[in-house]
Amino acid sequence: MVDDPDAHGGADKRHLETCAECQARYGTVSKDALAISSLMTAPELEVDVASAFNRVRSAPAAQPRFGFRLPVMRPGSRPMVLAFATVAAAAALLVTAVAQGGGIFAPATVTPVPVKVADLQALSQLSAYGTLTWTKQPQAQVVTSAAEAKSVSGLTPPTVASLPKGVSSTVTYAATTQGVAVFTFSAAQAAAEAAKTGKPLPKLPAGIDGAKLTVSVGPAVAEIFGNLNQAGASDPTQAGMPQLIVAKSDAPVATSTQVTVKQMEDYLLAQPGISPELSAAIKAIGDPSTTLPIPIPIEFATSSKVTVQGVQGVALGDNTGVGAGVIWIKNGEVFGVAGTVKLADALDIANHLT
Amino acid sequence: MNLGVRQMATVRPDDESFEALFTTEYARVAGIANRVLMDQHEAEDVAQEVFIDFHRLHSANAQYAPAWLHRAAAHAALNRLRGSRRRQRREVAQATDVTEANDRIVDPQKQFEVNEDRRQVREALARLAPKPAAVLVLRASGLSYAEVAQALGVGIGQVGTLLRRAEAALRKEVTRGTSL
Repeated sequence: MVDDPDAHGGADKRHLETCAECQARYGTVSKDALAISSLMTAPELEVDVASAFNRVRSAPAAQPRFGFRLPVMRPGSRPMVLAFATVAAAAALLVTAVAQGGGIFAPATVTPVPVKVADLQALSQLSAYGTLTWTKQPQAQVVTSAAEAKSVSGLTPPTVASLPKGVSSTVTYAATTQGVAVFTFSAAQAAAEAAKTGKPLPKLPAGIDGAKLTVSVGPAVAEIFGNLNQAGASDPTQAGMPQLIVAKSDAPVATSTQVTVKQMEDYLLAQPGISPELSAAIKAIGDPSTTLPIPIPIEFATSSKVTVQGVQGVALGDNTGVGAGVIWIKNGEVFGVAGTVKLADALDIANHLT
Repeated sequence: MNLGVRQMATVRPDDESFEALFTTEYARVAGIANRVLMDQHEAEDVAQEVFIDFHRLHSANAQYAPAWLHRAAAHAALNRLRGSRRRQRREVAQATDVTEANDRIVDPQKQFEVNEDRRQVREALARLAPKPAAVLVLRASGLSYAEVAQALGVGIGQVGTLLRRAEAALRKEVTRGTSL
């Protein structure tokens, strides 16, 4: 009541007029407030906003390359690195670990595949065996409303029923349009690469030269929860750390020409540079024509199969609150919940997502 | 197949929005830092760093932008205050000049008392926990209860209680060495 104009009417004030105890406390509080107010006075500033803006604009750090940096890309955030690595690797693995014996890969469920980060990095070597091009470039944007996210992606952002204690309800939206990538296998490039490593090129299956593998990903929307205005005690640049990310995407679809995807997979996995561990992990997938492999970097997290909203999903992390996530596919859409929360909380959010 | 980098490259910079945000909020952000540091030059340094950090990491169109800036200004200034014993020694030496220039106080005894009070307030502020210190600084800088609540990520109903506790804590710290 001391300096809050909204508190000057009503029951509190009437009570104060008749309660000696409260009057005494009010007196103490008023005295504190008055003393502090006096001590906290500061000389008025006269700032030159235009000059200040020029100084900020000329500072190297004030010239961001893209206008923003996705919070999930922030270094030092282990759970977010995990979530990002998982999502990126899921897309990357589609190039190699797609349907055995079928032309179309449209997964209906997910399964965890433990891999090493080095294995995932090795996937970039695929460009040595052919060309990878985007026939439709995915366009990502950070937006400020659910409506805007929908207009970018065409998807309605999922609704979280209730947030765990400690997670800010402040939400930022991200959305991306659909992307279509085509990998065209080149026997000449594969031969050149094999020559470079000094290892022989495995025997080419008929028709693999020029075979195309087309993978479409997205569109997708994500809700990034976090008290983004919460400055760290020692470093204000850490203020924007997200606490929870909830994402939804159309399930990826892969098609192939000339050879079956299984043939291309087998041939690619036999190339130098692809680790035997990854090869074994991919082969361990039961029925990839209906299963999306979710690569789990073994350095980061343990994984387990869980039931989410009546379907099978993959759970990452534990109940320490350091980091946990859940990924599942339902009705042709991939959902993910990940953040610095307990696994039990992530599962609860996942099960009540609408 | 680095999806993250490829996607990010397509996002447009929001320089115009940032300039508008800067124009609207700069004086206030610098004012918050000045409330802590009592030094225009340092306060503007802090304010500019805060804007640079914000621009590097966030969209200027974000709804939370002003609240983020206010809080970051308070914390960055308090950090600078805590981390600079050398600055405090320099301040004591310079305090008389600063006070004279800004306040036109001519009574030497009064002038000495005010300087000493301000110095002790800043030392006390630096000893407070980050949240109580921030709530005091933000409120003293003229932010409304609603703005303080947004900046600190608390409910508006909590602001009064936080403020009263912070005032009591600061007064307790300051009373040891001032004429309060």
